[in-house]
Amino acid sequence: MILHLNHTRRDSAAASMSEVVETFLTLFEEGHLSAAQFARLQIYLDWLQYKQNFREPVTVVQTAEAGSGAPSRVDVRIDSRQVSPGSLRELVKKAIGPANTDAGKAKDRIYLEHFHSLRSSIVWSFNQLYWQRLKDWEVATGKSYEKALPGGVSDGHNPQAISDSAKEFWRLLKELETRSQLPPEIFILEIGVGLATRAGMWLDRFCALDQEYGTKYYPHLRFLLGDYSLSTLDRSRPAVKKHIDLCSFIALDALDPIKTLSFLRHKVLHVHSSNMYDNLPDDEVVWRENHLYWVQVRAYIPAEEAAKIAANCGISPTDVLKTIKRLLEVGADTLPEHEKGMAFWMNTWNAIRFEERLVDALDLPDAELPAGLSYQQMEDILKDAPGELRFHLSSGALESFRNTLPLLHPRGYLQVQDIFVTDLADYCMGFYGPGKLDGSIVNWVNGALLREVAHRAGYDLHFAPFQYRAGSKTSILYTTQRE
Amino acid sequence: MTLPILPTTMVGSYSMPSWLERLKTDYFARRISRHDLDEIHDCAVRSAIKDQEMAGLDIVTDGELRRDNMIDYFVERLPGIHIDRSSKKFYYDFYDSEVLGKIPMAALGLVDDFKFLLANTERATKFCITGPHSLCKRVRNKYYPSDEALATDIARVMNMELKELAKAGAKLIQIDEPYYSGFPEDLSWGVKVLNLLLEGVNAKFAVHICYGNRYGKPSWEGSYRYLFPTILDAKIQQLSLEFARRGGEDLDLFREFSPPFELGAGVIDVKDQAVETPDIVAERIRKVMKFVASEKIVVLPDCGLFHLPRDIAFAKLRAMVDGTKIVRKELGR
Repeated sequence: MILHLNHTRRDSAAASMSEVVETFLTLFEEGHLSAAQFARLQIYLDWLQYKQNFREPVTVVQTAEAGSGAPSRVDVRIDSRQVSPGSLRELVKKAIGPANTDAGKAKDRIYLEHFHSLRSSIVWSFNQLYWQRLKDWEVATGKSYEKALPGGVSDGHNPQAISDSAKEFWRLLKELETRSQLPPEIFILEIGVGLATRAGMWLDRFCALDQEYGTKYYPHLRFLLGDYSLSTLDRSRPAVKKHIDLCSFIALDALDPIKTLSFLRHKVLHVHSSNMYDNLPDDEVVWRENHLYWVQVRAYIPAEEAAKIAANCGISPTDVLKTIKRLLEVGADTLPEHEKGMAFWMNTWNAIRFEERLVDALDLPDAELPAGLSYQQMEDILKDAPGELRFHLSSGALESFRNTLPLLHPRGYLQVQDIFVTDLADYCMGFYGPGKLDGSIVNWVNGALLREVAHRAGYDLHFAPFQYRAGSKTSILYTTQRE
Repeated sequence: MTLPILPTTMVGSYSMPSWLERLKTDYFARRISRHDLDEIHDCAVRSAIKDQEMAGLDIVTDGELRRDNMIDYFVERLPGIHIDRSSKKFYYDFYDSEVLGKIPMAALGLVDDFKFLLANTERATKFCITGPHSLCKRVRNKYYPSDEALATDIARVMNMELKELAKAGAKLIQIDEPYYSGFPEDLSWGVKVLNLLLEGVNAKFAVHICYGNRYGKPSWEGSYRYLFPTILDAKIQQLSLEFARRGGEDLDLFREFSPPFELGAGVIDVKDQAVETPDIVAERIRKVMKFVASEKIVVLPDCGLFHLPRDIAFAKLRAMVDGTKIVRKELGR
C-alpha cells in the first residue's frame, strides 16, 4: 500500500495519516481486503479547496493500465476535510466493498450521463443555467452572487486596484503619445462584465486622470464590454451610464473573442477580465509513470438524495431525470410552482457527485489537448514534474487566452485577475477544484500551462499576488509581448 | 532569365514544420548531432524550394529554414559578438548577445547556403539577409559609441560577404530591415549604413521593411510615412512593404514621392491563417497598380511565412500566384 499525502493542512484535515493507516491495516487484518488488493492500494489524502464539491468523502478510482486494458490499480481518494472523525472506517468499507461493483453502484445512484472528460460533463449545463438565470438564484437565496464568494466580496472591485490599473494604462498612452504612436481610437476590452461595476469605476478614474493631466485621451477611448449573456450585458449598462457614449456592449464567446472581434486584430491596447477563467470548462489529467491519463467523470445523484428531492418537490422519484432535463432547458419553471422548481434546482445541484475513472490518453483518440499544446510539449513541460501529478488542463482558460492574444496591439497587454496555480508542483499540495460556488463551478487555473503557451506565442507572462486585500487568494496575470 | 510582368516571390522564409522545430530544439539539447541537423536542413530546404515551384512562384528563396530566427543566424557568424547560450528556451527565441570589442573582418559562411539554393532550382533566385540596423538593435552594445557606429561596422563585415554572394551568382539580394519601423528616428543613419553595406556589390537589391512578424504578430504599428523622403536616398532597386494586413492607405506615398524603386507589394496577410482567394489577391494587386506602374510591381506576401502551418502557407502562395495570373490576363500579358 502506498500513501500519498497531497496537502499540507495539518490543522484542518479531519482525517489524519495515522488514522488512515490504522483503518486500512485493520480492514486488511479483518479480511475486508485481500493481500492482492492491499498490495495494489494507492491511498491519496486530498484536501479539497471547496467545501461544496463533487466528491464523496471517500471515492475509488479505477485505472486501466496502459496498453493492457486490465484494471490493475485501485486508487482510494480521501477528502481529508470532509471525513468526520470516526467515520473513516465505514466510509472506506463502503467504498471498497460489494457496493463498489457496477451493479451495486447502479442501484445506489442515478446517473445523469455516461463517462466523459470533465469539460463535456452535464455539470457545465448547470453552470450555464446559473449564469443565464442568476436573478432567480439570487432571489431564492436572498443574496447576490458576490456574497457567495469566499469572503463575500469580489477582489475585482477593489477601488485601489482599479485606480492603479487606470493609472498604468494612462501611462502607457502617455508613452505612446511621446513616441507619436498613439492610435486614433484606443480600444479596451473587458471580457465577462458582471454588473460592470469595475468597468464603471475604471472609466471614472481614467476620466479623472485625463482631466487632471489635460491629456484628452478619454474621448478617444472605445470601451468594449463583452459577455456571452445578453441579459448580463443589459444589466451592466447602468454602471457605465456616465460613459455610455464610449461603450459598446458585445455578445461574445469568452472562449473565442477573436472570432467576434476579428476586425480588432492587433488593435486592442488593454484586455481585462476578472474571475472568468476559473469558471470556464476544464479537464483534469494525471501524469503517472510517463503516461498521461484523462480523468473521466460521470455525474450522478445518490438514489437516497434523489428520493428526498423528489418528495420535497412533490414528484415521483422516477421523474427526477426527466425534470432535470427540463430544468436545463427552461430553468425553475420546470415545475408548475417556481419556488418548488428553484428548490429542485438547488437541491439537485447540491447532490450531484462525480464517479471517476482514469483512461490512458493513448486509448482516447479524441482526448485533445487545448489548442496551443501538443503531447510533445506536455512531455517537455512535465519532464521535471513529480512522478505522479493530477492537475487541471484549464482547457477553457487556455482556449480563451490563446484566442484573446491576437487582439492585442503590439504595445497592448492582457490582465487577468483570478485564482491561479502558478507552479505544477503545487498540485501535489492541494486540490484546486472543481468546486461549487452557489450554482456555478469553480476551478483554479493552471497558470504554469498558461505561461508555457504564452511563451511559445511570443509573450511574457507574470503573476503578481493581489496586494490590495490581505488574505486574498487571487493573483493578477499580466501578459506583454516579448521583444 | 526573363521574368513575367508582376513576378511572384516570397519575402524570404517558408513555413517552419513543427517536426523541424522539435529537431532543432533537440539539437540545442544535444540530442542530435550537427551532421544530422545539417542533413535535416538540406531536406527541409529542398522541400521548401519544391513547394515554391509547385505553387508557381517565379523567384524562389531557400525558405530560410536553416535559421533559428532572423537575428541569431547572423549574430552567431559575426566574430566579436558574445552570445549567452543559456539565454533561450526554444531555438526560435533570441539569444542575449553583446559586443565587447571591435568586430573583425570575417567570412560569414552564407555563400554555401546560396550555392545550395542555386543547385536545387532552375528558377530565378533571391537570397535574403538581415540588415545591420536590425542586427544592431538586438545586440547589447558595450563597445561602440553609438548604435550607428556598431551598425556601420556590421555593414563593413557584411559588405564583404555580399560581394562573395554576388561572385557566386546571387543576382537579387534582399536586405531585411523591419526594425526601421520600430525606431523611425534612426532612419537617416540607417539608410547611410545600408548604402555602405551595398557599396561595390554587383547585384540587384531589395529592402524589406515591415512592422515585425515575431511569433506571427506585429511588433509595432504606425504608417510608412516615416520612410519618406529619407528612403529615397537608399541605393536599392526594390522596396518591399506590407499592405495586405494593414490595408493600402500608405500606397498614396508612392504617388506623392514617386520613388524610383520597384515596389514589392505585400498582398498576402501572413498573420492570419485564413487563406485569401485569388480574387482577393487580384483586387489587392489592382489597388497597388493605381499607384505604381505594373512594370514596377513585384508580388509577394506581407512578410515571411515562418509561423504559418505548411498547408496554409502553400495555399496562400498558390492563391497569390493564381490572383496574379488573373491580373496578368487582364493586362494581356
